Amino acid sequence: MSGKDMISVFPSRMALTLMRGRLRGAQKGHSLLKKKSDALTIKFRGILKKIIETKTMMGDVMREAAFTMAEAKFAMGDFNNLVLQNTDKAQLKVKTKRDNVAGVNLPVFEAFHDGSDAYEYTGLARGGQQIDRIKKNFAKAVTLLIDLASLQSSFVILDEVIKVTNRRVNAIEHVIIPRIERTLSYIISELDEREREEFFRMKKLQGKKALARAAAERNRNTSEEQYGPAASLLDRERDEDLLFD
Amino acid sequence: MNSLNFNIDFGYLEGLVRGFKSGIVKQADYLNLMQCETLDDLKLHLQSTDYGNFLSNEPSPLQVSIIDDKIREKLVIEFEHMRTQSVVPLSTFLDYITYGYMIDNIVLLITGTLHQHTISELIPKCHPLGSFEQMEALSIASTLLELYNAVLVDTPLAPYFIDCISEQDIDELNIEIIRNTLYRAYLEDFYKFCQTLGSTTADYMSEVLAFEADRRAITITINSFGTELTKDDRATLFPRCGKLFPEGHSALVRADDYEHVRAVAEFYSEYRILFEESGNNPTEKTLEDKFFEHEVMLMKKAFLEQFHFGIFYAYVKLKEQENRNIVWIAECVAQRHQTRIDGYIPIF
Repeated sequence: MSGKDMISVFPSRMALTLMRGRLRGAQKGHSLLKKKSDALTIKFRGILKKIIETKTMMGDVMREAAFTMAEAKFAMGDFNNLVLQNTDKAQLKVKTKRDNVAGVNLPVFEAFHDGSDAYEYTGLARGGQQIDRIKKNFAKAVTLLIDLASLQSSFVILDEVIKVTNRRVNAIEHVIIPRIERTLSYIISELDEREREEFFRMKKLQGKKALARAAAERNRNTSEEQYGPAASLLDRERDEDLLFD
Repeated sequence: MNSLNFNIDFGYLEGLVRGFKSGIVKQADYLNLMQCETLDDLKLHLQSTDYGNFLSNEPSPLQVSIIDDKIREKLVIEFEHMRTQSVVPLSTFLDYITYGYMIDNIVLLITGTLHQHTISELIPKCHPLGSFEQMEALSIASTLLELYNAVLVDTPLAPYFIDCISEQDIDELNIEIIRNTLYRAYLEDFYKFCQTLGSTTADYMSEVLAFEADRRAITITINSFGTELTKDDRATLFPRCGKLFPEGHSALVRADDYEHVRAVAEFYSEYRILFEESGNNPTEKTLEDKFFEHEVMLMKKAFLEQFHFGIFYAYVKLKEQENRNIVWIAECVAQRHQTRIDGYIPIF
């Protein structure tokens, strides 16, 4: 255990209550953060699984799309240059949304079509069906890429946040709470010692008092022997000093 | 032009073409090519064919696009040689063959110019067989109309533009519609020209061009389902020649889906067979493949007769098909997608 540090505080009952309050607060904070970390970890694992799935599917889809490209070239000749020349603005665009998971803002990318198909008539006289297929395949590949992009960015952000949260959890668990507990035990031990001192003082005082009483008693007893019992005004026997009764 | 006088003007070239034809890659070579694991293997096997060492100067790693370009270059060299050696009317015939590629090039250049791409980047992308002198001059125009008035009116394709497109349409039409309209005018013109050549050439080329026209009509119909192409527009894209003209065309114009088209084709024996053996499942041959097969069969027939120009047309088409086949096999090898590697069209 490193360092016997604790919070320096004057040990009093007030301090004890305050420290107890702080301990409760720290424990509650610890359990809340742990819950957050667990939720984030579950989501993290889910995203990881989806990323692996998407990546393997991506490999297949890209291969398929490249092959469809070869088929289309076979049926139609070289249409690559014509398509390249005809490009104007993007037909498939990406929107970003923010998704909130256990307090973490994750970006989500969504694809949407903008405008009609500019290449409707490509391959009208030759190879139109292959062009159709190639359009579908590459569109699938692009949407898959977009999904993969959102998954990977969430993955990176979540990783960071989980590290931070776990650091906090560990800090509370291994630093803050022991410190408070040590302070508490110090306060309690101080209070106990004070009480013992007090007790001891009391006992000593009582001892002294008893001695003093015993001495006073002895003195009283000796004076009684000398002067006889003291007259009491409350005796109802005849009082000599009264003339008429 | 008959068997007696043909060899005076065209004998050398016919002999040359027949020589080239026997160099076309055979089935055995295709089987060898299909066994290749890498593109370098492919290059090795191609060395034993007529292609020889055409790839020897290319730096490795080889790419499919380089193979494609080199094969095309070989065809262009052979064709240009024949073109320069020929006299009228063979030279006009060979010119007609190049007009098809010219149409593709013009469409590419127009699209590029309209999108403000410089001509110097577009010229290397054109098909070399379809080049014409005014290609460089296309950069001066910025709208289609200017383009036509300044440049295209001097090319051999000018009459095709006049035939089909009026001034207002030219700016609004989709470039593909323009391409198909031009091609239709070209086919009709070619058909008429062949008729003037008489005897064997006319017979052979009529059959071939009729098939080409019908194939385009059927393909345009099938591909226009689901697009915004109206039925009237569709009718203007059908070439006015071929077996399907005119009754087949009116039936095709009314067609609404694949089954209707098949029903129209039932009336014509060759096309019925093509439709029967094709289908849309992955295991069956597509209609396009069947059309290619039929075309190859027609082209091979050209070499069975002598003293006609059809052999030149057939040679160009067969070399193109061979180009497509080799590039297809190369792509399958490069992408390691061996399942469909036998999807090429066998020639000899």
